[in-house]
Amino acid sequence: MNNRQARLFAIAATGVATLVFIGLTVDSHRQFPKLTNADSITAEVKHGMDVWHKYNCINCHTLFGEGAYYAPDLTKITQHRGEPYLKAYMRDPSKFYDEKIHRRLMPKQDLAEDEISDLIAFLDWVSKVDNQGWPPRPILVTGSFVPGADTLKTGGEQRSDLPPGARPVDAGDDERALGEQVFRGAVPACNACHSTAPGADMAGPTLAGIATRAAAIVASPEYQGQAQDARGYIRESIVSPSAHIVPGAMYSADGTSFMPTGYDGSLTDEQIDQLTAYLETLK
Amino acid sequence: MRYQSQSVAYWYFAVAMVLFGLQLVFGLLSATKYIGPDPLLYILPFDVTKVIHTNLLIVWVLTGFMGATYWMIPEESRAELHSTKLAYVQLVLWTLMGVTAIIGYLFRYGTGNKLLEQPLPHKIVIVICMLIFLYNIGMTIRKAGRFTTTEAVLMIGFVSAALLYLPALLHYENYTVSIFYRWWTIHLWVEGVWMMIMGGFLAYLLIRLSGADREVMEKWLYVIVGLVFLAGILGTAHHYYWVGVPTYWLPIGGFFSALEPLALVGMAAYAYGAMRRSGLAHPNTLALHWTIGSALFSLFGAGLLGLAHTWPSVNKWTHGTLITAMHGHAAFYGAYAMIVMAMISYALPSLTAGRREQGTALGYWAFWLQITGMFGMTLSFATAGIAQVYLERIMGMGYLDAQLKIQIHFVMLIATASLFTVGVALFIYDFFRYTPRFVLDDTEPVLAEREVHPT
Repeated sequence: MNNRQARLFAIAATGVATLVFIGLTVDSHRQFPKLTNADSITAEVKHGMDVWHKYNCINCHTLFGEGAYYAPDLTKITQHRGEPYLKAYMRDPSKFYDEKIHRRLMPKQDLAEDEISDLIAFLDWVSKVDNQGWPPRPILVTGSFVPGADTLKTGGEQRSDLPPGARPVDAGDDERALGEQVFRGAVPACNACHSTAPGADMAGPTLAGIATRAAAIVASPEYQGQAQDARGYIRESIVSPSAHIVPGAMYSADGTSFMPTGYDGSLTDEQIDQLTAYLETLK
Repeated sequence: MRYQSQSVAYWYFAVAMVLFGLQLVFGLLSATKYIGPDPLLYILPFDVTKVIHTNLLIVWVLTGFMGATYWMIPEESRAELHSTKLAYVQLVLWTLMGVTAIIGYLFRYGTGNKLLEQPLPHKIVIVICMLIFLYNIGMTIRKAGRFTTTEAVLMIGFVSAALLYLPALLHYENYTVSIFYRWWTIHLWVEGVWMMIMGGFLAYLLIRLSGADREVMEKWLYVIVGLVFLAGILGTAHHYYWVGVPTYWLPIGGFFSALEPLALVGMAAYAYGAMRRSGLAHPNTLALHWTIGSALFSLFGAGLLGLAHTWPSVNKWTHGTLITAMHGHAAFYGAYAMIVMAMISYALPSLTAGRREQGTALGYWAFWLQITGMFGMTLSFATAGIAQVYLERIMGMGYLDAQLKIQIHFVMLIATASLFTVGVALFIYDFFRYTPRFVLDDTEPVLAEREVHPT
């Protein structure tokens, strides 16, 4: 190859790549409105984006996985946390997490109320953008899909004045929070066989979306058990796993579910109620 | 130094050195916050130290690029600069822009758009500085009437860098579209036109230091530029993963990003080949260390570590974790910090009084401590990132819980970053301990200018 050919290669490679890139850019613009639900970019969402920029959020958090890596990804946060929670959180993060335990804390930002609600509107818009199904599994802020892997296990030193993100739940808490505790603490632990991540079937099927599925099962003609509604079905599955058999050779044989029995004895009625209430939140 | 006006380079390098030192202060501060708790939570929170850390990097590297260009152009074109006054005006304006931007960031005066945090007035000053710079260099070349390939590559690099900054001046109401164009600036800078600039400096240094044949070096420079753009332009697609753009960007990103290391392999082979085959050996072996080091470290940091997480099916899990920080640190350091230090090390003996041509002992300590420190930092981010991906993304452990499990890697990060900082401190000290001296040296051998005479 001589000098002229080398130059020609440089120019041609650059030219072709640029042309293709510009062509794809034009086509991307054609698709942006649908992929990003551009018609739902309201004045609140726009203002929320300005708030996101104004408070330099991206230099700790990530959005669409882009940003700094010092604080949790917020792409799907509005699907994990409701608006009242996020509002309360934005007013004072230290009420939710303890810097001594997590070693990091979000500084209080002193946002105006409309800034908070518009920021949430913006984050909600973000959570609905069609971004090729990322993240493949939900990214949690705290807690864990895996038994016993999180820091906040029961037992050990407990202080009653800790914020909720930094201490185990106690008797005064919401029954769903207590139910999540039962989910991990029952013997055998529910989460030893069931994940709550979509598509992550372990020894038992994933419980992501169980509330929706339960309602469908109860309503279907194939249903073999006694329950009248979704709540009843979830409760029945816990105390009497073989009352209705979920199809799949890895889950049952000869009409008997592989799920251990005996939860009606090892758990109190109250605990079973709490567990049911927790599972009902998995829609 | 063969042209009086090359002395402006010294002051650009001096500013770059100060900003480099400052960058590390904010880097170390950010690193300690990973261990926490943070006593500065309400004085200097992470977002502030981080934005200053990354912005100082961009400013000092560009300052170094411009200084190195002011050094190189007179030699290549064999003429004095068009206007040294303009070069100083530009430096003052540029430094003021940088310093006021940093002060502004302390008070959260910025756009909050990653890496493009500069407020609009600062962005306009950046554009003005670039225009002054391009005008000055352009006029120098025009008046001299000698325009080498190396200069051409460098100039096209700078002109494109200025052009690609323009999308950053606009406001987009759709966040996804704003991300789309942000990468036109950031990606096409660091994996496109900055690579051209780096390639230009590399060619210049190799021709000077190894005495490699200009004709041959420039031919390969073309090939490298072709490879950079072939892979780099469509490689922008790897920043379009998971941000709300059409799905076809995924396979395009995977394929062309996988090609990106080719240009870096080319550069490393080119540097090594030049060193092996050259008949002449320049006495400045320290500059040679930095030059070859830059080619090799960018192959490692930008090429290999980029490839490690660029495939869509891998990136799906690693996206937005410390794996990116691993690649970012090694790539920027190898490709850009090191090439600027190579140019500085090459130019410094003739810009200061009493400095050994082959480099001072302190200079070698600075080189090896930095290499060791940065390699250790890369490993710290890598081990932290791998653990994070596994715990948080695959096992589904909460972000805050997973971060607590990887504390030891942050300790490792601070230890190796301290080593790196000592290396940089030595480099800066070594830079300033000899007084500047700008005397023309006519006896300086014109190395490596083996002109090709038609037979």
